[in-house]
Amino acid sequence: MLELNPILVKDLRSRMRGARAYILLTIYLLILAGVALLLYAAIARDTGNDLNAGRRIGQALFFTIATVALIEVCLITPVLTSGSIAGEKERQTYDLLVASLLTPWQIVWGKLVSAMAFALLLILAIVPVMSLAFLFGGIGLTEVLIAIIGLLVTAILYATIGLFWSALLQSSLGATSFAIGTVIALLLGIPFLIVIVTLILGSSAPSSLLDSIWFIYLSRCVIALHPFIALGATASQLSSGGSAFFEIVRTSTTNVVVPSPWLLYTTFALIAVALLLAASVRLIQPVQSGIERKKRTGQES
Amino acid sequence: MTPLVETHELTRRYGTNLALDHLNLAIPEGAIFGFIGPNGAGKTTTMRILTTLLLPTSGEAHIAGVSVTREPRAVRRLVGFMPDFFGVYDNMKSWEYLDFFGRSYGIPAQRRQQLIGELLELVDLGHKRDEPVMSLSRGMKQRLSLARAMMHDPHLLILDEPASGLDPRARIELRELLKELRAMGKTIMISSHILTELAEMCTHIGIIERGKLLAAGEVQEILRTMRPHRIVEIRVVSGAARAEEMLRTHPDVLELRREGARIETSESAEAPLDDETGPHTLLADFAGDEHALSDVLAMLITEGVRISHFAEQSGDLEDIFLHVTKGIV
Repeated sequence: MLELNPILVKDLRSRMRGARAYILLTIYLLILAGVALLLYAAIARDTGNDLNAGRRIGQALFFTIATVALIEVCLITPVLTSGSIAGEKERQTYDLLVASLLTPWQIVWGKLVSAMAFALLLILAIVPVMSLAFLFGGIGLTEVLIAIIGLLVTAILYATIGLFWSALLQSSLGATSFAIGTVIALLLGIPFLIVIVTLILGSSAPSSLLDSIWFIYLSRCVIALHPFIALGATASQLSSGGSAFFEIVRTSTTNVVVPSPWLLYTTFALIAVALLLAASVRLIQPVQSGIERKKRTGQES
Repeated sequence: MTPLVETHELTRRYGTNLALDHLNLAIPEGAIFGFIGPNGAGKTTTMRILTTLLLPTSGEAHIAGVSVTREPRAVRRLVGFMPDFFGVYDNMKSWEYLDFFGRSYGIPAQRRQQLIGELLELVDLGHKRDEPVMSLSRGMKQRLSLARAMMHDPHLLILDEPASGLDPRARIELRELLKELRAMGKTIMISSHILTELAEMCTHIGIIERGKLLAAGEVQEILRTMRPHRIVEIRVVSGAARAEEMLRTHPDVLELRREGARIETSESAEAPLDDETGPHTLLADFAGDEHALSDVLAMLITEGVRISHFAEQSGDLEDIFLHVTKGIV
């Protein structure tokens, strides 16, 4: 019989035992529900007898809840993983894991999946709150699916960032600090970069530059590195009747077809996840690193 | 006995620091091998290489003929490792701790459940099966750690300072457990600072200092060959003064000492021994062989000295350790 990853079983046993997980889940849902309630109260008061009021409330509720959930996922998932491998080092159980028959990949995969299982629980827990938006209308299935995919991809990416720092550093505190630092750098650094470039180019930028295909692709790629901007741009595209999968950028000479921001974001995120996982696996190889192996082979030959 | 563990010119450097210096070691199958040396001598480095946690800078090590550098995964099946600390997981019961490591070694579920019960009984923790690991005493944790190291039924158990921090009862329990494991056919490599305990339980020892192996072999052989001279204990009922005079002038007696509180308190070392205050015990550092020793006994008896005890003192591992090592780290 196929057995579950031992790390996954152990971590889930430890994580779900006791009140900690339930308290975190309760706080998470209370924040979401509180924001939804406040938003509803604010919009319902302004709309009066407007026939489109339900639609407006539905859209506002959906986007606000999705944004709050995304913020929480960005902050919670790296914290869930940043203590995982570093915690084994602190508890002095790391050597026991490495000296067992577990492969580095099994260790990394088990740690990621156990953190992701909890993150998935957080994402699933928002579905009832998010479904309130459907009572009011204004939201289609496409928006919901893209939001869920965006949340999942963000959770995996940010969990992997935490995992990488956890594999690299010796202490949970250091790994958590660097993981949160990386998340903040990504979330604030990219908008800052966009603002700076916009200010530098200003209105004096030649149209030949702005209309060039490489500039259009580059700018869309930079935007797609940021989950909030990428998903927000996709939402805006959908609300203006655009396609969910591509965007047509009209220049003075031609039309350029660019993949939708959420697709670019998902692609970049999955590439980053693969690279970070490979780096983490490499970091927890006990001693048989390729460099050392090559050195030995060289010495022996 | 064929060696289960063999190292050949095993060397490990940490930067410029030479932790292991061309170590050649052989541990026979079924032995309890005591690895002795001061802190920083290279014991843990050797153990970490043998458990595939560390790569040697040069040289090679084999366990049951399997190379630790080329086939680390195969070696991990053969070795059970117990480090000098006990890694604790929060919120985990004793059986869950063993279950986790059983899974990590790929032991099937049904066998694992049976094995957990057997091992907990073996280490006398059957009654603590559902207790959180955190709540166990240090001695119990050490025994649980030993059960963990046994989960995949390894040929070789490598135990790094297993008795450190244990109270006398826990030490005795651990010692008995190790004897039981040896009776089960396990080969055990153990490092410790408590030399008297090692002398009692080990069949073989290796003394290491500054990464160099200074001596290795069977305990009795080491005690016999490494000691500079034998110490003979003679208990004299009457004729003590005569015996002392004869022994002092004997060419094979390097040094003669009196033992016993009565002599020290009531008589000076220079004054002849008085039989009235006896019996007296004399300790002679003897350089001669068995024949010379029997000649001394015959001579004393012929001269009318009455002796109730004449025996060579059993060897002391601490003496050997101090004699062989220089105390340099």
